[in-house]
Amino acid sequence: MEGAFTVNGKNRKFTFTPDERLLFTLRENGYTEVKNGCQEGECGACLILLDDKPVNSCQVLTASAIGKNIKTVKRIGDLHSPHIIQRAFVETGAVQCGFCTPGMIIATYALLRDNPDPSEEEIKNALDGNLCRCTGYVKIIEAVKLAAKRMKIGVMEYWSTGVVE
Amino acid sequence: MRDLNWYFPKSIAEAVDLVQQGKVFPHAGGTGLLSRGFTGINGLIDLSCLPLHYSKIENDSVEIGSMNTYAEAVSVLMKVDPEHIIVKSLCNSAKTPLRNRITIGGSIAYFPLWSDLMSALLALDADVMLIGKNDGQFPVEEYINNKEVRDKSLITAVKFNLSNWRSYHYRDIRTKSDYPAFNITILLKQSLNKIEDSRVIIVGTGKKYSRLTNIEEYLINRDVGKINIGEIEKLVEVKFAGKRIEDPEYSSYLAGVELGRGIEQILRGH
Ligand SMILES: Cc1cc2nc3c(=O)[nH]c(=O)nc-3n(C[C@H](O)[C@H](O)[C@H](O)COP(=O)(O)OP(=O)(O)OC[C@H]3O[C@@H](n4cnc5c(N)ncnc54)[C@H](O)[C@@H]3O)c2cc1C
Ligand code: FES
Ligand code: FES
Repeated sequence: MEGAFTVNGKNRKFTFTPDERLLFTLRENGYTEVKNGCQEGECGACLILLDDKPVNSCQVLTASAIGKNIKTVKRIGDLHSPHIIQRAFVETGAVQCGFCTPGMIIATYALLRDNPDPSEEEIKNALDGNLCRCTGYVKIIEAVKLAAKRMKIGVMEYWSTGVVE
Repeated sequence: MRDLNWYFPKSIAEAVDLVQQGKVFPHAGGTGLLSRGFTGINGLIDLSCLPLHYSKIENDSVEIGSMNTYAEAVSVLMKVDPEHIIVKSLCNSAKTPLRNRITIGGSIAYFPLWSDLMSALLALDADVMLIGKNDGQFPVEEYINNKEVRDKSLITAVKFNLSNWRSYHYRDIRTKSDYPAFNITILLKQSLNKIEDSRVIIVGTGKKYSRLTNIEEYLINRDVGKINIGEIEKLVEVKFAGKRIEDPEYSSYLAGVELGRGIEQILRGH
């Protein structure tokens, strides 16, 4: 079957089977930044923003996304213009193998958009759907706190000085 | 894969007509359908464009449209009663991204053994609003137990009252990301030193759920000072089937201990 939805700002027509999961449609169409981990809704590697809410794309049937708006981690920032959150993850050493990172960034982005000053408990809750087998989470939580601090001070100020104490 | 048609109705009436065909299933969050698989399903009806995404609170009565997600139901109730049992049961259910997808209607129709929602709805004596072959308002317990009521009907909303229950919800999990082996919901109403009313539900038992009427009876009209948690634990007789997550005998034992702890926590705050 065919259906159109918007991915990272571009409205496109996709071809998929009626029982296909959004994770596979996205990956087969070049959005390989959406990672395929468990396919069971357990790991969060496949996280995307669907109409601005973080969801597991492996738990979404593609047909149900017709007409909807999808953002992958690349819409938040990429190598050439990384988002404050992505920089914070790199700087704190919150990335080891990097497999969980796209999902972690999406979850962090959604958290800080809705709650710019989260407590450690709130960070842990917001990231409860994201598993990391490398870092032990300590550096990830540190990265979220650093990103929150920088985003609070303001994007402009951060980008003009590059450093926030 | 064999034919599976998708339908995108523009009105509830159109969706109801589709449900009458049989073998054409509503699609809400899709998480239950994905784990069930599509055997015996000829078509899926996308409910996302229908006006089932609303919530109404009037006086004491709460109505939550079936297409609200767990996360949305929590945020609606947080505003009026942050201690509400639905808030307690759903805010830790599954995980954040899944709570953005799992819907109230899909979870009532699917009712898995690990359902956090259903123990709370059963304890609240909630009603399910249906449209289709059966139109009207039905107790959630009737919806669960009567196939005729469920048949070819669409859940449009769930209704319950905002009565001032003191509540407790327990999920039997090893790690935060586990499916619970079972869920306990306890509701108590206290006036002065007496328990006026009580509801005790365990979901995940051999019969899917159990209402512990003997515990409810033990509590009602009893002086708070005369409630003996040890006695309550001994009254808990629930059977768990098979070894789904943990040994059924261990689940029964644990249910007794956790039920006692729950009542203790409501009554004495620890
Ligand atoms: C990894 C994972 C962990 C989970 N953990 C938990 C947990 O800890 N606690 C918990 O409570 N839940 C949990 N769930 C959710 C639960 O297992 C079900 O997947 C969920 O409740 C189904 O809701 P849905 O909106 O996705 O329904 P769908 O999959 O869309 O539908 C489920 C069934 O209901 C029918 N249906 C849907 N909407 C309606 C309607 N309006 N009227 C009539 N019939 C309808 C469908 O046709 C289908 O048969 C978890 C799910 C996953 C994937
Ligand atoms: S791949 Fe989707 S949650 Fe693991
Ligand atoms: S960095 Fe390897 S899984 Fe998280």
